[in-house]
Amino acid sequence: MLRPIALGGLLLALPLATGWAKNQKPDPDGLPPHDVKDLHYGDVLFYFYQDDYFDAITRLLAAQQLERLPHTEGEAELLLGGLYLSLGEHVEAGKIFEALLAGKASEAVRNKAWFYLGKVWYQRGYLEESERALRQVSDKIQPRISAERYMLLAQLKLREGKYDEAIAALQSWHGAPDWTAYAQFNLGVALVRKDRLPEAIHYLDRVGRMETRDEELLSLRDKANLALGFAYLQSQRPAEARPILERVRLEGPFSSMALLGVGWADSALGEFKRALVPWLALRKRNLLDAAVQESYLTVPYAYNQLGAPGQAAEYYSAAIDSFDAEFKRIDESIEEIRGGNLLDRLLKDDKKDTLTWYWQLKTLPDAPESRYLYQLLASNEFQEGLKNYRELKFMSRNIDDWREDVAAFDNMLDTRQHAYNEEVPKADAVMSATDLAALTRKRVDFESRINAIEKSNDVAALGTPDEQRTWGRIKRIDDFVQMHPDDPDLAEMRDKVRLIKGVMYWRLSESFKARLWNERRSVKELEASLIETQKGAVQVEQARAGVPTNTGAFADRVGATRARMDDLQARLAALTDKQAHYLQDLAIEELGRQRQRIETYQVQARFELAAIYDKTANKPAAKPPAAPPPNDTPPADKPNGKKKWWWPW
Amino acid sequence: MKKDVIDLNKDLFVLEEELLFPANTQVAVYVSMDVGTFFALDSVTVKIDNKQVKNYLYTAREADALLKGGVQQIYLGNLKVGKHELVAFFTGKGPVERDYRRGATINFDKGVGAKYLELKISDKVAKHQPEFLIKDWE
Repeated sequence: MLRPIALGGLLLALPLATGWAKNQKPDPDGLPPHDVKDLHYGDVLFYFYQDDYFDAITRLLAAQQLERLPHTEGEAELLLGGLYLSLGEHVEAGKIFEALLAGKASEAVRNKAWFYLGKVWYQRGYLEESERALRQVSDKIQPRISAERYMLLAQLKLREGKYDEAIAALQSWHGAPDWTAYAQFNLGVALVRKDRLPEAIHYLDRVGRMETRDEELLSLRDKANLALGFAYLQSQRPAEARPILERVRLEGPFSSMALLGVGWADSALGEFKRALVPWLALRKRNLLDAAVQESYLTVPYAYNQLGAPGQAAEYYSAAIDSFDAEFKRIDESIEEIRGGNLLDRLLKDDKKDTLTWYWQLKTLPDAPESRYLYQLLASNEFQEGLKNYRELKFMSRNIDDWREDVAAFDNMLDTRQHAYNEEVPKADAVMSATDLAALTRKRVDFESRINAIEKSNDVAALGTPDEQRTWGRIKRIDDFVQMHPDDPDLAEMRDKVRLIKGVMYWRLSESFKARLWNERRSVKELEASLIETQKGAVQVEQARAGVPTNTGAFADRVGATRARMDDLQARLAALTDKQAHYLQDLAIEELGRQRQRIETYQVQARFELAAIYDKTANKPAAKPPAAPPPNDTPPADKPNGKKKWWWPW
Repeated sequence: MKKDVIDLNKDLFVLEEELLFPANTQVAVYVSMDVGTFFALDSVTVKIDNKQVKNYLYTAREADALLKGGVQQIYLGNLKVGKHELVAFFTGKGPVERDYRRGATINFDKGVGAKYLELKISDKVAKHQPEFLIKDWE
């Protein structure tokens, strides 16, 4: 009897399990908290640490242009390279890192530059160059970067298919606990690929038993158990596979695969009744899942093995009907996607105000085609494409926003020019009515007079007007008395005048110093006021001369940016359109693959049903029609042949 | 293509600053945090010459960015050349989760170049208290 379906396609559909998703964020660990050396660099980091990379890169470039990063030049260049990397601008990022390495950067900066350059090459697929760069990094680097570096090196070897070297690299790798789990998982997978299951068991089992509450690590734990379980099945050790597969969480993303595997383990042990338990549970799930699709065949297969061909036939018939309904839905979804609504629906609820390194679509829209997109979104290619599409849309919105601001700049410049035209005549009138030179001369004269008073000790000169009048009268009387020195009638008056003059002089002398100090202070204040006035006059003159030039220069800049905005907006629109078509094609291709896989299942279901009917009627079974297997699905097993387990990693 | 957009964005950013906040009148106020063991920041209010120019409430994400070493430009404005006074009020949770409000003041001279002031929140380990300072970046 034909055993149902090969598992390869299902396993291949599993997302690859690596620590990469967790580890790709490049820089915060490389830029720990530190004293503020340049305020503007801190300002960049403020946005960077909030994962707002577009604002961060804008502010960083602006600060560099305005020469505001005198103390953080090297770090800023590194960060700039990392930010370009995050936006997929690998060439620009590579140039920056190479320039840093060609310059006189410090060892710390050089280490980080080599490290990020290694990552650039790795992401672009230049594995040899990547390895060369990563090996330039010395061990005098922060532990987290060092750990990621070793992880990258091991990952390189895995990508090159050099499993022994990957194993060697990972065996000597010591990183943070969460990273260790990824390393052990990768090592386990590499060992399985080299048919070294006994060694792989140690690592995969350790990850499969780890205690954690972290969702990402829980998912990794499930993957490790799934990998180990299927490795046992592949090695014809179903009894050992079963308990391992049972460790996979029932509510996790890998539970369907695990249920399928548990059923296969029971089936391989001849426990068909027991196998029906997970398979029937699986059959109630969403038919979109490849494991569920397979359960539509494994359930009747088990019934048939249990000698219940009637129930088997019913389930095969139901499978054929379900597959037919699924074809219809897939075809409708393909039409829907061709209509061009897919991307707008996907991004409808997206937070649009930032560009982040790690953007991923988390929720799917409530649309008919959504049920098929889970598979599609598991692919890195689609996620990357969607991220790219989203970035192009973001940039287009950004330019639209600036358009409003630029219009405001124009208004502002017009207003400035208008105000200038109005204010200039007034300023000219004030300036022409003010003789600053004469005022300065007066101040000098005044100071000279004060100096003379001080030098001659002319105490009366600083008296109040009353005192000066009184002093004048006394002086006049005194002069008269002096002119008649021998007149006896004036003897009494002479004594009085001498007394009054003495009293008056004493009073004036007593307050002379204070008055002199006050006068000197007045001179200084006058001088300061004059200086301010002169400054103001210079500023007015400069503004008068400079405003038309400034306004004109700004107007030119505004005009130039407007032209650039128009050009970029047109290019963005074309590129966005192209990207949208690319993503639509990907989606349609994926749906096509799903359709093809279901077709294969349906062919097998029809053949099995025919075989049951033939057997019931005591006729020899017909050969199944030769349905070509889909690209990612291994050939169906021969009747009574051993199950072939395909390894996805 | 993306680089072209980024360059344009940068040019517009610089143009906006030079147009709206020319260096001869520009004053920028920044907020930084060092360690933050004794203080969890909720909000900052900035007054210049007795006039409130900013009252900013922080999200957890923003406060976290400050703790990691980010510096926030909380205010960018224009001031005439001469003497001015800045008063900043910080509110948040102090030691043992108590509500905490403190102020700091600085008198500064605005010259012909741009003026940068940093509101620094740091830990005074000896007293197990936060410390709030204002630094005048000459």
